[in-house]
Amino acid sequence: MGRTLARLALTVLAAAALASGAVSQAQPRPGGEIVLASTEEPDTLDPQRTSTAVTGLLMRYLGDTLVAKDLAGQYTPALARSWSVSRDGLVWTFQLREGVRFHDGAPLTAAAVKASIDRALAPETKSPIAGALFGPVSLVQAVGDRTVVIRLKEPFAPFLDNLTDPRAMVIDAQAAQQLREQFGRKPVGTGPFRFQEWRSADRIVFARNPEYRWAPAYAHAGPPYVERLVVRIMPESAAQVAAFERGELSVLSVPPPDVKRLQAAGKYTFFSFLRKGVGLFLEFNVTREPFTDLRVRRALNHAIEKQSILQIALEGLGEVAYGPLPPSIWGYWAGIAGYAPRYDPARAKALLAEAGWRPGPGGLLQKDGKPFQFTLYTAPIDTWLRSAQIVQAQLRAFGIQMGIQSFEFGTLLAKLRAGEHQAEFMGYTYTSPDILYLWFHSANVGTGLAFSHYKDPVLDRLIVASRTETSPKRRLELYRDIQKYIVDRALWVPLWINTNYVAVQPTVVGAKIHPDGFVILNDASVR
Amino acid sequence: MGQFLIRRLALLVPTLGGVTLAVFLMLHLTPGDPAQIMLGEFASGAEVQRLRRELGLDQPLLVQYVRFVGRALHGDLGVSIRSRRPVAREIADRLPATVTLTASAVAVAVAAGVTLGTLAAVVRSPLVDSLVMAVALVGLSMPTFWSGLLLILVFALSLRWLPITETAGVRALILPAVTLAAPAAAVLARITRSSILEVLQQNFVQTARAKGLVERRVVVVHVLRNALVPVLTIVGLQAGGLLAGAVIVESVFARPGLGRLAVTAILARDFPLAQGIVLVVAVMYVFVNVAVDVGYGLLDPRIRYR
Repeated sequence: MGRTLARLALTVLAAAALASGAVSQAQPRPGGEIVLASTEEPDTLDPQRTSTAVTGLLMRYLGDTLVAKDLAGQYTPALARSWSVSRDGLVWTFQLREGVRFHDGAPLTAAAVKASIDRALAPETKSPIAGALFGPVSLVQAVGDRTVVIRLKEPFAPFLDNLTDPRAMVIDAQAAQQLREQFGRKPVGTGPFRFQEWRSADRIVFARNPEYRWAPAYAHAGPPYVERLVVRIMPESAAQVAAFERGELSVLSVPPPDVKRLQAAGKYTFFSFLRKGVGLFLEFNVTREPFTDLRVRRALNHAIEKQSILQIALEGLGEVAYGPLPPSIWGYWAGIAGYAPRYDPARAKALLAEAGWRPGPGGLLQKDGKPFQFTLYTAPIDTWLRSAQIVQAQLRAFGIQMGIQSFEFGTLLAKLRAGEHQAEFMGYTYTSPDILYLWFHSANVGTGLAFSHYKDPVLDRLIVASRTETSPKRRLELYRDIQKYIVDRALWVPLWINTNYVAVQPTVVGAKIHPDGFVILNDASVR
Repeated sequence: MGQFLIRRLALLVPTLGGVTLAVFLMLHLTPGDPAQIMLGEFASGAEVQRLRRELGLDQPLLVQYVRFVGRALHGDLGVSIRSRRPVAREIADRLPATVTLTASAVAVAVAAGVTLGTLAAVVRSPLVDSLVMAVALVGLSMPTFWSGLLLILVFALSLRWLPITETAGVRALILPAVTLAAPAAAVLARITRSSILEVLQQNFVQTARAKGLVERRVVVVHVLRNALVPVLTIVGLQAGGLLAGAVIVESVFARPGLGRLAVTAILARDFPLAQGIVLVVAVMYVFVNVAVDVGYGLLDPRIRYR
């Protein structure tokens, strides 16, 4: 009996040992650090006050939003385990998860969520995101401990999508109130990492949050495996590439010229995703000659050969753009590629002739004694400048002389807003089709992004309808109509959408790319 | 000497006044509105106007300038528009790194430049002379963003002798200091060489040799001290330039520094921060020049101060 028991005990022990061995093989090794690099230093780590893009990226690790998007781009619970909206689209109700805590230990309650949103909307916060992200919020209520109700003044179709923006994360408003300006240097959220240190112009360090248990479904529920996340501020991308090749960075946003070389090295894990936005387009100022004439704008759409621009300026790493939205943003109408003007030199020449432009001295087109000359305003971004030179050469063949004037970005935006330009180069990154409002609604002429200075009540009506429509099917139809309308009016010549490449060291396992363009590090570990 | 120092330091007032006024005007007259930039593209006109009022940007320029000067005299350099931290804090965070880099670069530039220039002048070989001048020309002509990246590729990536992403410690300082020092060293080499050649013509050199002094002693003790006066002037000018102008080296090597901070501030139209940096750098520049003047006295006993 004793021996049988002993043998049984041994068998059980051996089985347990084998099982735990098997489990620990599958379990990633905890510890180590992941080093990222950013060309830009955040202006502040307060997500409600920042104007820099990199802050949004860092907030993915420091905070959680109410709702997230999964790897297929569908809405998935994050801090809210469920939500619903009233039929009229005015009342949004969110049920919060249990057991969530801020980094300073305070529990996440409905009151805390209300305080966070209230702070974003308060005029004293001077938040750049309040109006754009949360929209026409009239009231936020905390009903009990677990329910948050947000009332809107009118239906706001982009609302749920905007809530997945990392800057809409829930912050500890009490900590923000106590720390005041310092909160931007010592943010407090609920995310898988918590803030540890910020050495100005040098690095930002986040430490693992050991209490974390509420990741969205695309990551494992518990705390991250790595001990630390370090973000080095490195303004020079060539230096970033060198640092990555030396092994000092774990993850790299690969500049286009280095993509093929690093892929050929064969040892890095590569992710790629299409930019969520049109990387480059030529925009006309319709209030200035010669682009007041629709025929001229359409002619240029037929005259510019986009495939060669993609191959030469971008090394082919992307796609040609045909409309104001890229395929990577919901609302994109797939038919736009066939609908948009094709490269057609004969048609271009015919339209220009129809508009009164005839060949003149020096091979230049002219009308009423004036040659076809215009200046393209651009920012000194490498791929933009290269694309500009190609467009310049292409248009010259049609007798159009294009000058290129490059301005530092702040100055450029001021000039575009004032309508000083005839045409400009621009690009954007955004998460939803609501970007069409920012580019094309007449309310944004002179104050916002409507650099085409185009005012059209028909287009305005379509855009407003797309923002207030609650049926997704109907919204898609509206966006299709808007895209067709914009292409019909030839306000832009869309050029290309670049593909972003991210390389990861072979020593880092478990990193995944999220379709919104960031690396998920919850499951990552260092070998 | 004391009187001299006080009089020189009193020059701080008109210098700073002139510099801050010039920068203030340049910043405010450039297109681009900090409130707009801060709130981003998606802000409404009303929000931008409100922020402008709060930041005092809607006041007439003269009022804004006087306010700035008034506060600065009390040591309050204002608050950065971009980060909302006190400007003094932003500068203090980066000042040690800037001073370290500049001091190292000056040290390397002086050591390399003066040595090379002396060699070229003293060694009676046209080959060595041409070689040194050629090296100096190359050093002068290389843009720092190119030479910096080249040094990273060679020493950090291929040879793996030095780190890339570290900013603390002597090892991390080597490549940036050398990159920054190269053009300065080249200039110093050329100036030293011409200066020494000129001094070597002087009568007292013949006298020294006639006295039977070893050539090396002639050069080091007698010639160098005289030849270095113009070199010292140049070092003073370069030190000021290196302080504020190291922005390219700071960007390539990802080091914190006032140069990068100034560029970021200007691009964001962060007036208080940009003005604060210019003020601080102007003060440092004046002190460096006073030190250079005192240095003349040390080098050449004939120079007396009243």
